[in-house]
Amino acid sequence: MHADRPDHRIALDSAVLSHFMPMHLLLDAEGRALSFGPTLARVLRGDAVPGARFEDLFEVRAPGGAVTVGDVLARAGNRFRLVPRKGVRAGLRGLGLRLPEDGRVLLNLSFGIDLISAVRDLALTDADFAATDLAMELLYLAEANAAVTRELRGLNLRLEGARVAAEEEAMTDPLTGLRNRRAADLVLERLCAARAGFGLLHMDLDYFKAVNDTLGHAAGDFVLETVGRILREQLRAEDCAARIGGDEFVVIVVGRSDPKTLQAIAERIIARISLPMAFGDQTARVSASIGIVRSLDMAAPEAAQLLATADRALYAAKRAGRGRAVLLASRGG
Amino acid sequence: MRARLHPEIATGSDMDALLLRSLQSYVLDTFGLAEWQDVCRRAGLAAQTFEPMLRYDPGTADRVALIVAEVLGRSVDAIWEDVGIYLVTCPDREGVRRLLRFGGTCYADFLHSLEELPGRARLAMPHLEAPELTLDEVGPDRFELCCQSHILGLQRVLLGLLTAMADDYGALCLIQPGADGCISITVLDRRHTTARQFDLALREG
Repeated sequence: MHADRPDHRIALDSAVLSHFMPMHLLLDAEGRALSFGPTLARVLRGDAVPGARFEDLFEVRAPGGAVTVGDVLARAGNRFRLVPRKGVRAGLRGLGLRLPEDGRVLLNLSFGIDLISAVRDLALTDADFAATDLAMELLYLAEANAAVTRELRGLNLRLEGARVAAEEEAMTDPLTGLRNRRAADLVLERLCAARAGFGLLHMDLDYFKAVNDTLGHAAGDFVLETVGRILREQLRAEDCAARIGGDEFVVIVVGRSDPKTLQAIAERIIARISLPMAFGDQTARVSASIGIVRSLDMAAPEAAQLLATADRALYAAKRAGRGRAVLLASRGG
Repeated sequence: MRARLHPEIATGSDMDALLLRSLQSYVLDTFGLAEWQDVCRRAGLAAQTFEPMLRYDPGTADRVALIVAEVLGRSVDAIWEDVGIYLVTCPDREGVRRLLRFGGTCYADFLHSLEELPGRARLAMPHLEAPELTLDEVGPDRFELCCQSHILGLQRVLLGLLTAMADDYGALCLIQPGADGCISITVLDRRHTTARQFDLALREG
């Protein structure tokens, strides 16, 4: 605006230019390099020699189709994007003007979003940037963000761990370490919804009340813990064993529908539970009755109906003389 | 009022959270699990972890620091000062030292950058209620840093940070606590020893 006033005109030599613009490039009217700012010279590595042509130094990424610096200035107004041909592969943003007096071209370049990799590859220091450049702030922000993200990821992992532990606790019977009723219901609902083939064993201990009455509640608890251990030993990881009441258990055997297999599993469990359990210098003796149902015996298995049928099977086993397993095909399914 | 020790998302202070986590890491790394568990037990802490990204009741950091001082048998000022040194020098926490080193090429530059520190911190954590810091150049190579915070220990943490950063820059300084949370810094020799290496960009991987 006041360019005409003589006291506003300045002549800058390359040292002054480099001080303000360490990534400048001064070209003659034909696009041949006259001088490079020191940081730009590092970016271009061996290519930064006076006389080098603009188009040999840079590939123009925008504006599209531009090759020479003349094209760039004509098409882009004054803003453009370049990639050095041989130096560091970093996108450079630029601003340029043809100087009015002699047609020389002054370009000022800066790292765009490739700043961090360029700083790393060239081992740049803050002396390579003008004091007004926000490069330091960008580098700072990138590291601060990474640190905050790392902390948040850590927090998420810890919260997830706590959530899993709380969920596990909410699904576990504390005395036996087996699942609880709620967990068993969820597994049953999931398997029914998936129309999976599985066997459901409903088990009740025999003579448990007698142990409680004669040997005391500590002995009763010991028996329940032992039964928990037996069930865990007899079952696979994918099966679900739950204590759903005082001495009442549910076992879900996933992927097993053969009646003989289910019967064998139930009898093996009963045999183990029927062995005498040494509690201090006393011996607790219990047994177990098991009712078995198969999801395949129902056209559309439902948790409540399976449990009701298993309950009937259990009572059939009890009536048949205890220490037995009875398989009942579900009716009406 | 007794400070509550569980996170307070709505009313809590995030500076308390950051300092509590620093205190926890310092005790765990420098002394060990037994000492930290002792602190947690005396503080009546259910979880043994303070989360740096949550918020705790204002005053919690000072309260827990008093218990740490009791457990370790040292003054609470000494504990906080050590926490400040630990944050800069602990190899596992290189991040804090790096972020502070972005402040400038020499120690005086770094001191001047501290006024920008709350603004810089808010770039990464927009909700952080970072205490304002003011630095006065009171004479040649003499500075006064003032900090207003509800956390009593913060002055000593800053003192520790400034001491450790002087070492990092290789500057020989006299750093002393003053009144009203201020710290006076006299730079005796700007290039006393060689500054520790600082690369602007971290190596990849």
